[in-house]
Amino acid sequence: MPLSEDVVQKIHRLMARYPQPRSALGPALHLVQREVGWISPEVEEEIAAIFHLTPAEVHAFVGFYTMYYKSPKGVYHLEMCTNVSCKLRGADEVAQRLFQTLGVKEWGETTPDGLFTVNETECLGSCGTGPVMMVRKRGQELPRYYEKLTPERVEQIVEELKAQVDEPLPVEPDPMGPAHFGGMEPKVLLARVNKPDSHRIDTYLADGGYEALRKALSMTPEEVIEEVKASGLRGRGGAGFPAGVKWSFVPKDVFPRYLVCNADESEPGTFKDRMLMEYDPHQVIEGIIIASYAIQAEKAFIYIRGEYGFPYARLTQAVQEAYEKGFLGENILGSGYSLDIIVHRGAGAYICGEETALLNSLEGRRGHPRLKPPFPAAVGVYGKPTIINNVETLSNVPHIIKHGAQWYRQFGTEKSPGFRLFGVSGEVRKPGLYELPHGVTLRELIYDYAGGTLDDRPIKAIIPGGLSMPMLTADKLDTPLDFESVQAAGSLLGSAGVIVICEGTSLIDVMERTIGFYREESCGKCTPCREGSAWLEKIIKRIKNGQGRKEDLDEIMRLSSFIEQQTFCPFGPASVWGIRSAITHFREELEAYIEQTNPSGEVPPVPVRPIYRPDVGEPAKERV
Amino acid sequence: MGERVTITIDGKEYQVPAGITLTRAAEMVGIDIPIFCDHPRLEPVGACRQCLVEIETPRGTRLTTACTTPVSDGLVVHYNSPRAKAAREATLEFILAHHPLDCPICDKGGECPLQDQAMKHGPAESHFIEEKTHKNKRHPLSDLIMLDQERCVVCWRCIRYLEEWEFKPQLGLYHRGGETVIDTHPNRPLAAKTSGNIIDICPVGALTNRVARFQYRPWSWGPPSRTLEPVPTVCVHCSLGCNLQVDVRTHRVRRIKARENSAVNDMWICDKGRFAQGFFHSEERIRQPLVRENGELRPATWDEALQRVVDGLYRWAQENPEAVGAMGSPKVGNEANYLLQKFFRLMVDTNNIDHRWGGDVLADPRGLSAVEAIHQADVIVLVGVDLAEEMPVFANFYKRAVRRNNAQAFVIHPRRTEDADFGTYIPVLPGSEALLLNALMALMVDQEPFAAQTRRLPGGRDFVTWVKEHRPEDISALVGVSQETLEALARTLAEAQRPLVLYGPDVVRGFQAEANRAALDNLELLLGKDRVAYIAPDANSVGARDMGVLPHRLPGHQDVTDAEVRERFRRYWGSEVPEEAGLTYQGMLEAAADGRLKALFVMGADPADEGPWAEEALKALDVLVVQDVFMTRTALLADVVLPASTYAESDATFTNVERRVQRAPRAFRPERDSRPDWAILVDLAKRWPIREAGESKRKGRKGKRARRSPQARWNYTRPQDVLREIARVVPQYEGLTWDALGEGGRQWPTDRVARPRRFVQVTPRFQAADPEYPYYLVAERFLFDHTKMTRTTEELHHVLEPAVVRMHPEDIYDLGIQEGSTVEVVSRHASVALPVQADERVQRGTVAIAYSLPGSPAEALMGPEGPGVMVAVRTTGPAPRVVNILD
Repeated sequence: MPLSEDVVQKIHRLMARYPQPRSALGPALHLVQREVGWISPEVEEEIAAIFHLTPAEVHAFVGFYTMYYKSPKGVYHLEMCTNVSCKLRGADEVAQRLFQTLGVKEWGETTPDGLFTVNETECLGSCGTGPVMMVRKRGQELPRYYEKLTPERVEQIVEELKAQVDEPLPVEPDPMGPAHFGGMEPKVLLARVNKPDSHRIDTYLADGGYEALRKALSMTPEEVIEEVKASGLRGRGGAGFPAGVKWSFVPKDVFPRYLVCNADESEPGTFKDRMLMEYDPHQVIEGIIIASYAIQAEKAFIYIRGEYGFPYARLTQAVQEAYEKGFLGENILGSGYSLDIIVHRGAGAYICGEETALLNSLEGRRGHPRLKPPFPAAVGVYGKPTIINNVETLSNVPHIIKHGAQWYRQFGTEKSPGFRLFGVSGEVRKPGLYELPHGVTLRELIYDYAGGTLDDRPIKAIIPGGLSMPMLTADKLDTPLDFESVQAAGSLLGSAGVIVICEGTSLIDVMERTIGFYREESCGKCTPCREGSAWLEKIIKRIKNGQGRKEDLDEIMRLSSFIEQQTFCPFGPASVWGIRSAITHFREELEAYIEQTNPSGEVPPVPVRPIYRPDVGEPAKERV
Repeated sequence: MGERVTITIDGKEYQVPAGITLTRAAEMVGIDIPIFCDHPRLEPVGACRQCLVEIETPRGTRLTTACTTPVSDGLVVHYNSPRAKAAREATLEFILAHHPLDCPICDKGGECPLQDQAMKHGPAESHFIEEKTHKNKRHPLSDLIMLDQERCVVCWRCIRYLEEWEFKPQLGLYHRGGETVIDTHPNRPLAAKTSGNIIDICPVGALTNRVARFQYRPWSWGPPSRTLEPVPTVCVHCSLGCNLQVDVRTHRVRRIKARENSAVNDMWICDKGRFAQGFFHSEERIRQPLVRENGELRPATWDEALQRVVDGLYRWAQENPEAVGAMGSPKVGNEANYLLQKFFRLMVDTNNIDHRWGGDVLADPRGLSAVEAIHQADVIVLVGVDLAEEMPVFANFYKRAVRRNNAQAFVIHPRRTEDADFGTYIPVLPGSEALLLNALMALMVDQEPFAAQTRRLPGGRDFVTWVKEHRPEDISALVGVSQETLEALARTLAEAQRPLVLYGPDVVRGFQAEANRAALDNLELLLGKDRVAYIAPDANSVGARDMGVLPHRLPGHQDVTDAEVRERFRRYWGSEVPEEAGLTYQGMLEAAADGRLKALFVMGADPADEGPWAEEALKALDVLVVQDVFMTRTALLADVVLPASTYAESDATFTNVERRVQRAPRAFRPERDSRPDWAILVDLAKRWPIREAGESKRKGRKGKRARRSPQARWNYTRPQDVLREIARVVPQYEGLTWDALGEGGRQWPTDRVARPRRFVQVTPRFQAADPEYPYYLVAERFLFDHTKMTRTTEELHHVLEPAVVRMHPEDIYDLGIQEGSTVEVVSRHASVALPVQADERVQRGTVAIAYSLPGSPAEALMGPEGPGVMVAVRTTGPAPRVVNILD
């Protein structure tokens, strides 16, 4: 199917925007998918010709990302998050009702009228407003979120979608408005999110926006770095590395340099960056400009996950406004400093939150992590020095510059200064985003801010930093939420996405969904992760299906310890910490489950299916 | 050897070169750290995690992959520590969990790194009790390569080979996580010229050779007749001489794979070398000797056939030795070629000895100084040579020189070849190379260091004056190359440290041969010794020249018209050598046509394929003898056909493009009734009538006496006996013995032949435009041609070069025809009908037709003229006189 001249021209314009045209591959595929519905092998060949790539390179790229359709879909593609946070809020019941309403039996089906295709999907960053369903409409590039779903609501939505089949699908989420939030007073990062038109530059300027940028531009880049260093600001993406120190790693005299804002928020339980981008995008942009100035980058990228349609729309609008007002582009505010920002959409791959995988993805490649060293600060995107910071990290920067490092350090603890956006999800009364200084305890967060648990059920387990972090038990409720204390308690603060699991919720279900996520999202590069996650999932599913053995728990611990130690990137440890901690803390419950479901301890026979004759199924030689 | 560092492995200190990875360093000191994704010729990726070791860091010991760890001074490694061992064991357990373990029917079984490493590092017992994930076990990547996605361990070696050596990323990973598979694009089967190398480097049985699949078991077992015998030999498809391992069992070739020779092919071979194994045992091979009786060829005994040959040749040798000629073969080994020229020079008393692209090509006998030169070059200029098609492995070296060593490349060729994608393309019309090179040198001679060369070397001053008359702007108009491009090339060459200019045979034959060769020689004087090299076309092109299968040269490139030389050979051979230079290959055909040549002996050549004119000439002969493996068009015309064995059925040596003499030992016994070329020649010599003492070989010539019968010198019992004589007679081969060649071969030094020492002035000819024949014919070699060598392997049929005439799309448009319609291409010599194909790589005003297509249309159109032939393209008009394109 030949692409229209219009699309081809748009692709060429996209290619021209990037330092290397291949970077436009991902965005171009989004564009093409909007135009022709799905990425057929023939479309891949056309794209390859435009990009001067081989069709195999395009094919491999498309095959990595879930948002590119490898087969035609219905007019509406409904993708429901069934990950842990949404599951704890009743995603399964919603899904069941969705199936009934549409008359489908399993994920992946398309209704006979061709209107709806349903799929299960991974975390959509809506953990505080789950269960969530992402809807994409044929011919439209950006998806829409339907949140706070109930079985009744999902029925209505199907009817609404049917009725509006001739109208464009709005990008604004349903319901509109920021998720529930709260925390300290006055708030800093969330101070503006509830104001009318908080996302527009005029309101931002009226609230004193871009003053920090003016101040930063009056400082030398080194002074900016020193100020951020002095603030002790630590990365909010998960690893907690001091941002200012990272900036200072950029080698001298190597240009160009790049700044990448990591907006690939995909860690289950985490939904903070999304709100910042949706309701205060200029705060992020100001942070990006200051950070870029500090490292002397003249091009910055915002790598935003493909599912984030509304944040993408808000960000691109805000970037446009910033250009118009002279905060971006040539000679910003007469300082002689110039900066371009490109907002780059991902296409569905959790691993692209890992910074080196992100760089590969940004370059138009599969999102496999890169070898470190060299670290991106030395050799990053396009082989040039690159600083990658999380959205929340960068949102802190204008405030640090504006008020000074000392002001910043009055919040939080000595080693974990500042305030944090804690996302609380799972079985609590008021899931949402809470801005609080580091050091607030889990108990305060859950009971004082998030309203306590649903039905006042006792807490069984808490995942304190996104699904990748080890679970804590209820006796750790008084752990202060700072990097050091959480580590001392046996977990990690990670992305500060706190998932609360109460008594009465089956742990084997949580484990199954957890390992399913990592099996699905493993990039496939290294053996222990690729093979191990699939193996672990098979064991856990077998246990869940009533064919477990007690020694399977030991086997999970044994295999996962190797995965933890041996993988190429931090995805490996992240993929097993959850299930390891579950076994460590809740072995009794799991053993009881096994005892109850499979008292004989028998396992199904191992199906062996070797072929011992060479000619069986040998195809003809010609491959026409 | 550069800097060395000290590392400690398991408490023992080792000195290793700095900068290499820990896996390589460990290999050097005899520790084989197990690897899957790592490979000595590929960039490390650290994916498989099989090479985990513990290293000491300031923050304690840490598990890390050896393949991604560069050695540094003081590095302390724990290889056999419990943690490291457990880690490697675990990786193997993960790999084996989903591996199908169908070793009994796996082609890799017995030479499989996964098996070896499972033995050495594997877990005692599998804990895996789940159902294995099923994937596609028979997934063809092409007609030649099968992928078993279940066996695949996703090490990416195949993907990386295609990226890092072929620069053709045609394989990729698809999906992700546990579903990750290797695949091509669904519409694009693998189509790289050296794709088969991924089979060799696959560490498991995931990639298998579809030609050889299930034909062998890699291990040796049972009685000798059932053992798979690996024969270390060389490839005969091009002049690079890649080292091969031919695996033979029960006298049949089962499989061909690459054999490592770091000086020649490293560890790679091309797909023709690997997969074209059908010809060895083809049903189409000539089964027994044939003799013509009542106009028909009929089977005969060897005795009868050989006697017919001797009788026919002897009759004409007595009558007029100059009416007898012989054609040798650049595809046959040194020994047979040597014996051929010796037989005809001594027995028949003629110098009418040549081979295709021999005496008609003004080749420089030195060839390439060394294959290594391409790795070291910083500027590479290709003139009329298409490496990607003609020498695919060497082409990969060229591409790597450009992409990895940042060499700058310029490709001067009538067609925008694949090589041109890696550098600057400079179009040239066939036969206009000298015009272009002279214009280039006109720009060079004023620049240093070239000006100094012209001052230093003889003829330089006059050359400068002369060459400056070749104005670049004139050339620009003629061949469509911009002056800026030529200036850039001149500047680049001036700055180059190690420039390398390579040219092919079509540049130094035909009407412009002298001028082109002179220009290239002058260029070498400017650039420096061995910086300009002739790339010979065939596996033994260099050897055939060395052996004196040339009308004007005795073995060792010695001038046959030099009396001292002849005297030396008389002493070696015990008989007189005819003193006048003989006829070239083409000269013999022309002489046959006008009745001067009456008897012709053809060994491993097919002159009838040169076109209708050659076929007519051969028909006019009184005696035509063909010694070949297949019934060629020439053999169909022959009076006697002698079935020869292939190179793999007898010991032989071949001399490659860099003058490396290499062994090709006998791999299996001669098929059917065939006999090795050398043995047939020895038999002919022994049957040659013994002249009475005192009788001159030539009628009417007196006073010259053979000291003793030349037959006395023909008591060779083995090819090695011939090689021993070659080593005595050919100065360049002095001291070479079969044993001394070893498995890596030996090069002879370039200074043992003459090289240009003074600037010469040969004014190129301008080809006047001919309104009747407005297009230039561009004839090209392609890897997958239609010779029997390729066509006898069925799996290759889909990749054979199509029989088409390729033209620029705009030229096709101007003719008012559709792509795919048949056109008549006409030259003064022939007319052929072919479908037309649009190809933007073909220049406007030229038509491209491949050599060696069925019916040889390119050769027919060229006739005796060679490169630079002008043709017309007709779409209507009288019924064309069409060359039969079915053979």
